[in-house]
Amino acid sequence: MTLRVRRSTRAGIAAVTVCVALASCGVGADPVQNPELSEDEVTITLNWWGADARTQSTLDVIELFEEEYPNINVEAQYSDWTGYWDRLATTTAAGDMPDVTQFDELYLASYAERGALLDLSSVSNILDPSAVDANVLDSGRVDGTLYAVPTGATTNGILINTTLFEQYGVEVPDTTSWTWDDFEEAATELSEASDGEVHGISPFGQDSFSLNVWARQHGGELFDAEGDLVLDPEVLAAYWQRALDWIDSGAAPSVGEISETMNLPLDQSSLVTGQAAMGFIPAGQFLAYQSAGPDFDYALANWPTDSDTAEGFQYLKPTMYWSAASTTEHPAEAALLIHFLANDTRVAESFGLDRGEPGNPAFREAVEPLLDESGRESLAFTEAMSEEVGDTPPITPNGASNIGSGLLGRYYQQVLFGESSPEEAAEGFLNELGDSITAAG
Amino acid sequence: MSALGEFRSLSRSRSKAGSADHREKNRDNKAAAVFLAPWVIGLVGITLGPMIASLYLAFTDYNLLQDPQFTGLDNIRRMFSDERLAQSLKVTFTYVIVSVPLQLAVALGLALLLDRGIRGLPLYRSILYLPSLLGASVAIAVLWRLVFGTEGLVNAFLAIFGIEGPGWVSDPDTALGTIIILHVWTFGAPMVIFLAGLRQIPRELYEAAATDGASRPKQLFSITLPLLSPIIFFNLVLGLIGSFQSFTQAYIVSNGTGGPSDSTLFFSLYLYQEGFTSFRMGYASALAWLLLIIIGAFTALNFWASKYWVFYND
Repeated sequence: MTLRVRRSTRAGIAAVTVCVALASCGVGADPVQNPELSEDEVTITLNWWGADARTQSTLDVIELFEEEYPNINVEAQYSDWTGYWDRLATTTAAGDMPDVTQFDELYLASYAERGALLDLSSVSNILDPSAVDANVLDSGRVDGTLYAVPTGATTNGILINTTLFEQYGVEVPDTTSWTWDDFEEAATELSEASDGEVHGISPFGQDSFSLNVWARQHGGELFDAEGDLVLDPEVLAAYWQRALDWIDSGAAPSVGEISETMNLPLDQSSLVTGQAAMGFIPAGQFLAYQSAGPDFDYALANWPTDSDTAEGFQYLKPTMYWSAASTTEHPAEAALLIHFLANDTRVAESFGLDRGEPGNPAFREAVEPLLDESGRESLAFTEAMSEEVGDTPPITPNGASNIGSGLLGRYYQQVLFGESSPEEAAEGFLNELGDSITAAG
Repeated sequence: MSALGEFRSLSRSRSKAGSADHREKNRDNKAAAVFLAPWVIGLVGITLGPMIASLYLAFTDYNLLQDPQFTGLDNIRRMFSDERLAQSLKVTFTYVIVSVPLQLAVALGLALLLDRGIRGLPLYRSILYLPSLLGASVAIAVLWRLVFGTEGLVNAFLAIFGIEGPGWVSDPDTALGTIIILHVWTFGAPMVIFLAGLRQIPRELYEAAATDGASRPKQLFSITLPLLSPIIFFNLVLGLIGSFQSFTQAYIVSNGTGGPSDSTLFFSLYLYQEGFTSFRMGYASALAWLLLIIIGAFTALNFWASKYWVFYND
């Protein structure tokens, strides 16, 4: 009896050791070069985030793909942005990353440098991304290696709810030549005309896209070509100070209201509910806002500038990517799916502009005739902006992914609630982000 | 009588041949092992294994995607200079120290009311228990955010009296308070346990006390509370352990950020952020062990203190 007990204890210890060994199982191995497509039934997974409309169009595309390649089953995995990255981190750590995953610029380097993504040159016999504009495609490279195929790119822009301006009899300024003063004046006027029902500006403060554009307006940037953090603390402090100024002048809602609408999904944001009339958005989301707020007419405008504003401050930010897992058991089929998503124009017809203005010119042509008025407006805006954009900065470096998942927002809130001055918060933010990048590198 | 009969049959079986006795015992052992197996497998595979793995990870730098690197005591050193850890401990302790006694007081108060033999007791008991079933759910946490919002129910109510309330959830000064209220609202589980405990107190004691002229408050403090003290202790221990680990409400109410401005950064929420958002699973594992030690210490303290106020009537 005692012997048996001891043996089972030993089995327990063995099981535990296996667990520890499993936990220490890293991901990433040398990929097979030019894998062959299988003749047998194969199941791969496609993982993406997005709202209902995107879910439906993606499911439609999966159906098309399965019709084309009857031996390949594509399992759909989708969720909201919130929680998407947590889940991806967990499944990847378990060696169970979905075969094809929709990626964001924030996380691409973090996953690629840690060996979680498939080097797409290893599947170049199946996946040909060359139709995508070269400068857009380059944003899918990390240290020169292509890990992801961008779906498209977008600039930042200012969403203007023209219905609200009309309703309260305030004129929208001439947005082709407006200054920051014009912007704030119009906003303050609207807040006053509506007696505080509506505010002119939903301020920036917590997203890295608007911060990047702000920094470029001041001749700086967040990260240099080597991925080092080079943001000037004074520029960051001025960014938050600007938000505070808008709140003080009544152009923007109160701190409490801003704090409350922070991190809400797009369809509950103050720009959609009509609590704020102007806000900073990735221009590619224009249609999403328009369809979430059908009672309002929205317009898109470039950022205001001052006489000393640097040229080419806008840039084309890759909207999202398709990438494959380095651990995939079916690299050939995963590559085929990405090839299909990046090249088959029926995909473009289904997605429309939902994944940004397509990086593939053939996609743009396929989409254009299908667009409604706001779709054409969105495309026209991006096209006009493409004349003005400067060089695309390098993607967010490894270790800095958490800028978008709360780091910037946390310091912004300290500023909003007066717990730190913008200068103190800027210092704290840059220190924390710098440490995080150093630790990852 | 029946106990005596059982004893007789037992002694009869014991006097049977030794080999048969042995075989029977062996069979019982096997059956026990089979019945225990699911639990043991679960314990080893789902609890013990990961726990030991996390103990190892606590001494490593582990970013989830690459092999963990052993770093000795680095994670523990990091804790001493981690301001957000200090903030999360402050939030968690405030929450535990305020919400646990408050919830128990409400539960006990309602149990005492319900115990007075009102008509329709099962109905009231069910209704009052309902929040406990819902309280930890995501839907209620979302609802909470709306109830305590700037335009929410609470402020609509205050507006009747001409008071303009703040956005309770979005103000760092009041956000934690709303989560404490949410927790207190889920008083159902301890209440039901208190009710069961109250039923165990012999009625004769109250009758005797009433005959001797003891007032109702006197009866409460001299009979009810002492005899109920083991139950209070039980609820206190469970409540403390549970609240130290609370996660869902803060996660949903603050959209996973612990905000506004880290005012609802519960320990387990911070641990989660470190592990899954910042890719510092090694540090997160170390934090998990810190939480285990804190909970263990508090529970031990609780047991030690219990001998001064818990009265076992046996």
